[in-house]
Amino acid sequence: MTEILESLQFVYGPQVANGLAIGVAVILMALGLTIIFGLLDVINMSHGEFYALGAYLAVTLVGQGVNFWLCLALVPVAMAAIGYFTERALIQRVFHTKDRHILTLLLTFGLAIIAEDAFKLAYGPNPYKPESPISGASEILGIMLPNYRLFLIAAGGAIIVAVWLVVYRTTLGAMVRAAAWDKNMAASLGVPVERVYAGTFAFGVALAGLSGVLLAPIYSVFPTMGKDFILMAFTVVIVGGMGSIKGAVIAGLVLTQIQSISSLFISPVWSDPLVFGIMVLFLMVRPQGLAGRLGHG
Amino acid sequence: MKTLKICAALAAVFAAGQVQAQGAPIKIGVVTPLTGTYAGIGQQVKWGIDMAIKEINDKGGIMGRKVEAIYEDEEANPNVAVQKAEKLFQVSKVDFLTGTVNSGSTLAVGQVAERNQRLAATTVSFSDAITGDKCSPNVFRVNAKAGMQSAALVEWMVKEKPSPSVFYLGPDYEMGRSTVAAFKSAAEKRGAKSVGEVFAPLDNKDYSPFFGQIRAARPQVLYTSVAGNDTVRFMSQLAEFGLAKNLQIVGAAGTVTAQNMKAIGKAADGYVTGAAYSAELDNPANKKFVADFKAAWKADPDLYGVDSYGVMYFYKAAVEKAGSTDTDKLRTAMRGLEWQTPQGKKTMRAGDHQAIQDMYAVKVTGGKFQIIAKVPGEAAVGPDTCTRF
Amino acid sequence: MADTPATRVAVRTAVAANERADALGDGVLAGAFVALALVFAAVAAASGDTFFFRLATEALILAGVAMAVDLLLGYTGLLSLGHALFFGFGAYVSALVLKHWSPSFWAAIGVTFAAAALLGVVAGFIAIRARGVYFALITFGLAQVVFKAVYNTRELGGSDGIIGIPQIRVEFGLFSVQASSPLGFFLVTLVFVMLLYAALAWLMRTPFGRLLVAIRANESARALPGILALARQAGGLRDRGRGRRALRQPVPHAARPGVAGAAGLPDIGQRRDHGHPRRRRHLVGALYGAVILTGLKSVIGTWTEHHLIIIGALFMLSVIFLPKGFAGYVLPRLRRRFAPGAGKPGEGA
Repeated sequence: MTEILESLQFVYGPQVANGLAIGVAVILMALGLTIIFGLLDVINMSHGEFYALGAYLAVTLVGQGVNFWLCLALVPVAMAAIGYFTERALIQRVFHTKDRHILTLLLTFGLAIIAEDAFKLAYGPNPYKPESPISGASEILGIMLPNYRLFLIAAGGAIIVAVWLVVYRTTLGAMVRAAAWDKNMAASLGVPVERVYAGTFAFGVALAGLSGVLLAPIYSVFPTMGKDFILMAFTVVIVGGMGSIKGAVIAGLVLTQIQSISSLFISPVWSDPLVFGIMVLFLMVRPQGLAGRLGHG
Repeated sequence: MKTLKICAALAAVFAAGQVQAQGAPIKIGVVTPLTGTYAGIGQQVKWGIDMAIKEINDKGGIMGRKVEAIYEDEEANPNVAVQKAEKLFQVSKVDFLTGTVNSGSTLAVGQVAERNQRLAATTVSFSDAITGDKCSPNVFRVNAKAGMQSAALVEWMVKEKPSPSVFYLGPDYEMGRSTVAAFKSAAEKRGAKSVGEVFAPLDNKDYSPFFGQIRAARPQVLYTSVAGNDTVRFMSQLAEFGLAKNLQIVGAAGTVTAQNMKAIGKAADGYVTGAAYSAELDNPANKKFVADFKAAWKADPDLYGVDSYGVMYFYKAAVEKAGSTDTDKLRTAMRGLEWQTPQGKKTMRAGDHQAIQDMYAVKVTGGKFQIIAKVPGEAAVGPDTCTRF
Repeated sequence: MADTPATRVAVRTAVAANERADALGDGVLAGAFVALALVFAAVAAASGDTFFFRLATEALILAGVAMAVDLLLGYTGLLSLGHALFFGFGAYVSALVLKHWSPSFWAAIGVTFAAAALLGVVAGFIAIRARGVYFALITFGLAQVVFKAVYNTRELGGSDGIIGIPQIRVEFGLFSVQASSPLGFFLVTLVFVMLLYAALAWLMRTPFGRLLVAIRANESARALPGILALARQAGGLRDRGRGRRALRQPVPHAARPGVAGAAGLPDIGQRRDHGHPRRRRHLVGALYGAVILTGLKSVIGTWTEHHLIIIGALFMLSVIFLPKGFAGYVLPRLRRRFAPGAGKPGEGA
């Protein structure tokens, strides 16, 4: 009996709790990706690099003596501006062609290559890690969890709810959904479609930047960090249904738990192929994912 | 017939060029990762070599010839390394090749050196195989191999905590696994008790899924062979979860380095490793080396920097002993060669081309490696297992 | 235009003339490619060079991959992000054959051909359900799964890859070429890549090839799953000849730059059309694209270690400003020069 309790306390409990924190991190990444895809039909291959840029901005600001909590507010604003500019300057150029899926995918892929090398040029190859603003760990039901991760789970949850409210409960969100549903109809009803596109892209990029700041104290900051979450985030977006916020949340939680728990039974290196295998399976059998697209119910 | 004549003429021109080259600079090809995961290590390699070359040239070069380094980025990718090594031998006509970091690149470049009948040396790669079952008559290793580091570390560990319980965590690829296996067998021979092992994927972002197992196993010592940014995450997450308390963390020499120590921060304190070098090493040659290095590059030297610095003096001593840069003469001269480095005297073992040197146990204290014990080189190096020459 | 028999004949004549002009343009570019390659070989051989031979051989091999990507993207509009999977698979199979079974070039190339075709069928079966971006993502996912699986399989050398592949001699009956000879291997590769090019160019002229183009032009052709399956199998088939890489060491890392390469190459070569069945694609662009990109990477790489910034910028610029790529830019101009009058009807496509 004690053995079972002990394995629950030491093995399964922490696994679930840690998986939850990782799940929130992945969902934060996936949200921006899925919103951009849902509205613009753009697969943003440089999403990971925007995440990295957010983290680097935080490192720079903290280095200048700016309070970490202030960074949480400043960086997303800066990132939104960068995202807006990127959409207007680059995405728009190939947006109206028939092959916009492929062209925007290639374009953002090129952007990712440049960004990664630019980080190296600007910050050097060595990693940085901002000191965690909340130290210490708490024991909940015998499970040790660092306080910062508890904060991450809470903050991440709040952000997810806020994003959902913005998209589904505000006029702004209604415009976005209208533009996603039928661009021409929305335009004829007076929705400034072009600006809504750029604004949505900016919103997605700001979310990536915000995740960068939030996760920097846990995962450290280095030039190739954009690759870290991006595969998992793509998987979450596909399994959840491209463009679906609800789907991303469910898929994010389920897949990270699968990864977390499976690493107890199989060699951890196989948990990645396992999750990608699930993605391929979904693409084969149910390409629309768990839930429908943004603006499509 | 005409083409034959042209060929003969060309050959004559090339031959003349070769003769003339006696007064020309000695070219050292450096194939090292200047971009990618290992770019930080490549940076130290470059600093060490550049500094040694400057010193050598200021004192008149090697046998009156200036030394010149030609760098190529291998992107830590053996395929690229092969391509670049070939370019250096064929196009730049380098006399000697060094700089490769990951063991796969070193092994692959070794084959290129054999094909081109030139010599190469690694200053970074740890894999025992390079001077073991995959040894090459054209490849030398001036740095300590993985086995020597773990031997030194085991010596210290069993002295500190007799028959300790040890948990192992390594990155799941060849080097990570072989490093853990080597340490484990050395430790078990000295009475250590293994209480669990985990291999995490390379570039793993979150180690917390393994912390439950570590807590449940209640080890006294945690051995790890993760490297680079993986160490930053692993060690800071350990501290984040409060697991680092009452746990002695030890690891491979590449685990905590000057590149990642700052990012790990306080979580690195107390970490112990077996090492071939510490900037704190107390001898005049090292004091001067560290001061010059800091003055030149505004950074501390680490193991890679000092070994890459040392390889130039190894080459210099060998050329002067051989009186030539001819491959066969040079190889003979290198075998059994003794030379001085900031780490003290090194001896190149003739049987497997592995340098023998004193080893240390070092502990991170306040962002610096402090030497806490010394293990003589002969005790650490282990038997010669090379059978190819 | 009224749909009378006369106009129909006129249109058909114009289309035929246009196709001939297109073929001529491709032929000129392909011929120039071989000529340039031979001039290069002569110069490099005379100066006793090895490095540039190896680089050029690599560029040719990449040209083979680029043509494979182009066959899918250029003709059927399917972007495969997982083409590195077939590339790496071919390298591993040929390495295993050479190392453990028979050090024969023909054995390696034959087994690799059969195995790659089989893998193409399997991958095609998996990816067949997905369209557009989903196809891109499913191929990407597949490549990732296989990459991780190989990386984690110690029997295949794990992260170190397979080393110690024997140096072989390519037997041609009357004569033979040592694979370790830079000139010989370059020429063998050139012959194989150009044969591959000729075979694909021929294939695209057959009814089957026109069908491929029709899939893209008219999505209703999707209703014919059998045809599509055949098309996907062709996608597997074009991985023939991968065994040439036997000399090199396959390492799993190769898969990553491979993805970049496979996605990037056709772009510099040529891309995108507007789905008109008469609009032919230019495979020859893939040949030039691969060589230009390999050359650029090597040249820029010696100037600066941050060559990826420049390559990435060129890549983005070509997506924005040269969406039809190099061949799409050069060929209409060539056509106007060599076959005036034939260019017009197709231009409106």
